[in-house]
Amino acid sequence: MNQKMLGLVVDGTFSGGLTARLNPGTTTEQLRIGNFVVVEGQRNRYFSLISDIHLKATDPRLLADPPRDTSPFIAQTLVGTSTYATVEVRPMLMLEKVDESDVDAVLGERTGPEPVRTIPMHFAELREATELDFATVFGKEGGTNFAMGTPLAMDIPICLKLGRFVERSNGVFGQSGTGKSFLARLIISGVIKTKVAVNLIFDMHDEYSFDKQTEDGHWVKGLRQIFGSKVLIYSLDEEMGRRTGRNVDVTLKIGLNQIEEADIVLLSEELNLRQTAEATIGLLRDAFRGKWLLELLKMTPEDLGDFCQRSGAHPASMAALQRNLKRLQRQEYVVDEASFSALDDMVEALDRGKHVILQFGRHNTVLDYVLVSNLVTRRVRQRYEEKMRRYEETKEVADEPRPLMITIEEAHKFLNPAVARQTTFGTIAREMRKYNVTLLVIDQRPSGIDAEVMSQLGTRVSGKLTEERDIEAVLTGVSNRSALRGALASLDTRQQILIMGHAVPMPIMMRTRQYDESFYRAMGARVGITRDAETDIRDLFGDQ
Amino acid sequence: MRIGEIVETMSTGFVAESFELNRPPPLGSLVVVRLPAEAGETSSGMDLYAVVTYGQTVGLDPSRRAVRRSTDTVFDQAIYQEHPELNRTLRTEFGATLVGFFADGQLRQHLPSQPPPLHFSVQSASPEEVQRFTDRLHYLRLLLAPYGQVSPLQVLAANVREVYQQRDYDRVWLDTAAREIATLLKNDHEALLTVLHAIDPGESYDRSGGGEPT
Amino acid sequence: MPLELGPISQQVDNMAQTIVDLLPAEEGFLARAQDCLRSADADALRQKLEWQHRQQIRIPWLVATPRLSLSGTVPSPSPPSDFSVVGIDASSIPPDRHSSIRYYVLNVGYALLSYGRQPDAVLEASSQLCFQDEQLYVFPQKRDVPIEGTLLSARMEVESLRVLQKMLRSISRPTVALRDGPLILWTLQNESKEVQHVLLHDLLEAMAFLRQTGVPLAGYISYTGSRDVANSLRVWLCQGRPNECERCESDNRDLCLALARIRDRDLFAFLAEGDRSELFGSSSQILEEYGEHRVDFFYMNVGGEIVRVEVPRWVGSDVDLLGFLHAAIYDQCQRSPGFPPYPPALLEAHEQAVITAAERRLVEQMVEQALGQHGQRVVRSAKDDSKRRRGI
Repeated sequence: MNQKMLGLVVDGTFSGGLTARLNPGTTTEQLRIGNFVVVEGQRNRYFSLISDIHLKATDPRLLADPPRDTSPFIAQTLVGTSTYATVEVRPMLMLEKVDESDVDAVLGERTGPEPVRTIPMHFAELREATELDFATVFGKEGGTNFAMGTPLAMDIPICLKLGRFVERSNGVFGQSGTGKSFLARLIISGVIKTKVAVNLIFDMHDEYSFDKQTEDGHWVKGLRQIFGSKVLIYSLDEEMGRRTGRNVDVTLKIGLNQIEEADIVLLSEELNLRQTAEATIGLLRDAFRGKWLLELLKMTPEDLGDFCQRSGAHPASMAALQRNLKRLQRQEYVVDEASFSALDDMVEALDRGKHVILQFGRHNTVLDYVLVSNLVTRRVRQRYEEKMRRYEETKEVADEPRPLMITIEEAHKFLNPAVARQTTFGTIAREMRKYNVTLLVIDQRPSGIDAEVMSQLGTRVSGKLTEERDIEAVLTGVSNRSALRGALASLDTRQQILIMGHAVPMPIMMRTRQYDESFYRAMGARVGITRDAETDIRDLFGDQ
Repeated sequence: MRIGEIVETMSTGFVAESFELNRPPPLGSLVVVRLPAEAGETSSGMDLYAVVTYGQTVGLDPSRRAVRRSTDTVFDQAIYQEHPELNRTLRTEFGATLVGFFADGQLRQHLPSQPPPLHFSVQSASPEEVQRFTDRLHYLRLLLAPYGQVSPLQVLAANVREVYQQRDYDRVWLDTAAREIATLLKNDHEALLTVLHAIDPGESYDRSGGGEPT
Repeated sequence: MPLELGPISQQVDNMAQTIVDLLPAEEGFLARAQDCLRSADADALRQKLEWQHRQQIRIPWLVATPRLSLSGTVPSPSPPSDFSVVGIDASSIPPDRHSSIRYYVLNVGYALLSYGRQPDAVLEASSQLCFQDEQLYVFPQKRDVPIEGTLLSARMEVESLRVLQKMLRSISRPTVALRDGPLILWTLQNESKEVQHVLLHDLLEAMAFLRQTGVPLAGYISYTGSRDVANSLRVWLCQGRPNECERCESDNRDLCLALARIRDRDLFAFLAEGDRSELFGSSSQILEEYGEHRVDFFYMNVGGEIVRVEVPRWVGSDVDLLGFLHAAIYDQCQRSPGFPPYPPALLEAHEQAVITAAERRLVEQMVEQALGQHGQRVVRSAKDDSKRRRGI
């Protein structure tokens, strides 16, 4: 095996990691924090990450008086002998070695890599990871193993186990500009292609449906263009729906009757509500039950006064409340009464294997986003809960609702500590797929997300983060935090991510896959045909 | 070719009187004492290897000190012509540190169990012997405690220079030896630099002749 | 250890002062003495000495008879291109009076230095343990006259010439033999004629061999204290009898008395470097027994000191041999590294001859051991034992 030897283990603890002394020929500059490396113990192979690099000298006096103007001969002699480097290496997984010559053992059943239970002895060799190592740990591409990218310096695929991915809620993080939406697109495409779940995407900035121009100026395809009629487009914006080549399947209306107290409370900030709002709403609800909002908005000033007298509500609060909530009414997509059938139909479509993207069009203020996403999701989750209970009774396979993954952006708006308990999303995150519903949260300020919610996120995909608290937040509940901290901070702004958690056997740094023609082809899209024709063909002949 | 006879012997090394006055073997060079096979002992004889760690010329009688003999017309080599008794009253001796031996087809680089016998001959090691012996560098640590009052650093450097030349300027060997020395002297950077400066081949890389990589 | 250095050092100081004070006067007399040497008539002096000898007037000092002139000088010729010089010296471990075993050790050292196209050197020693009666007594059958003290010295000198004789059998180029010390064995003067005869027999035999081989022999005396020639000048100045100085009324009385203190080496200080004086005959009585090997002497400036060189008559009267010897001695002194110069051949011979205290003890141990192996114990005197032990 032509693997590059890097050094030998000279120190270490189980809890703290191993220290390896680099061989004289290995320079620190060919390694990076977060690199996937392998330690060859006598009985086990340890798949590890580099967590730190140190420079050392055998005689500290050398450092006080470093050699200047020395000949190349002397300089080259000192490197690796008097001066040397060590790396801190954190084993993540270990694999029991079999005797290569013992044919039965090699061919026989072998369990895959296990959690690390011990450490190797002194002088175990440290080497670069090879293709075989990656394949051993991450599996080969195929089935539900979805290639997310490649190692930084190699050309082999590193796979995400999408089956395990959708077993939990997950997060995609990274400071702005790191391409989170591309990552989300990759993941969602993978989920669609492998059919491990159906997707409901709240597309605040209209990024996912149709092709979009990137910062660099070139165009990338939308999910609709790749997957055709597998993907349904819902929209809040009627006008948008009428544009050519960007057909919207359903235009959604929200009724005031559908808006609940919890929705309003979630929007306290946006609607500029007073602290008294909640109490006031409570009084309204007592009086009018489900129609409280409608009634409130219908009230004339006299009605308000009457009500206050009757219920004991504070007039100023009532007036303010009414004033603030009138905003809702003014939204174009808000009607007084709307049926839940549109949403229920959506759930049925999801259950048939369709994927839904809800576009917001012009209505993409935070208010719109939070209100609609929360409301829609509540209904969806409710329907799922009902389906799930039915399934538990009948135990018919056909009754089991399809696993659903809901994608939301600006997740901290829904999941910050203040509101995490009240939003549906918080509930879903905590329930952990009780009803076959999970989240894919996308955010650039993970420190804004409630810690308990964060710890429920099974898999975290992160681009570069520089804020200490964001890094800490992403690493909440993750073991080997110290090893990963450095890796997170050292990622390139573009195209480099760290994935850790439920869907990967061990945390791994990688260069993300390109979202380009070859990707579209891999997902099954037809390339070389114009966009319009493509969608037409799909509509006519169904998806391939 | 016999170059001297042992006049003092110890487990760590020996002193030999040189056959040629004023010409001890070069500092750092490899010399060998050949021991014949003993009856009933090892199947073949044993060759003891040592590195020359100093040379000196003194009067045979330690109480007699050299005096100035040159004149305007008689100086340097001519002095030995004009004072033939000098060849009888002076002796050149060299000290060597034992660094290993070859016995039973095996090369070992540690002190032999017996010091070499008094009055046995000392020879210069042949180029082939030097090549074979220095393929392994463990012997360098024995030079850190050389026989005689000599700086071990200078002895190390002299030996490396000698061997480098005898191995036909084998650059690979030199680099390996330098790194081995860097490991031996890891705790004393100044000492290491002293040695490295003394063995630095200079910028002329074209010196590496037809030596085969080890 | 109990030596009182305090008072002594004071006395040393006084002595130094006294000497220094006398110097100017001494120098004045020396100049007059040298004038006298130059002006004296050698012929007349020879006759005067002969007359006194015939008259059996006893001269209480040794006098030198000038063979030619008194103050003549001869410059050194050049030595041949290839030649050798052999120096000999001897030392001994004398018999131990405090031991029950009687023996002594002789060690003759010699250095044969060859110069020219093929320079070479042979430095050796010849040692022997003398324990048999023939070696221990002059008259072994009677066990009479033990060889010790001055007799041992004489024996040493004889032995050195015997060794010289042996090694000269294999020489191939012109060779000069030097020994450190006189050839005149004046210490034998007071011995009986029989003793003298026994001891001189081997000496003269060796000298005969040398004569036959053509190897000039010389005794080299450095820092000579002789006053033979000075004494002759006193005879020259004397207008009465040389042994009646109280009655002297001569003008030269002071010079004559001064000459009693002047040494020949100062007298001949006028010699140029490399030059020698003319030959002089010695009046030493032992020379009567030397026959044809009667020894004469001359003084020589070797460059830094005036030395006395004693040579057998057959060397002195052979122009070539004498010239060769003269040249060889000067050449030797020019090769000497020290100052004043000393012939390297003699220096090396001395080094070879010397017996160190450690070697001496070693011989004693060997003797004790050997006797012990044969069942004999060495008995020491009480005095000796106490000196060795030096117990407190």
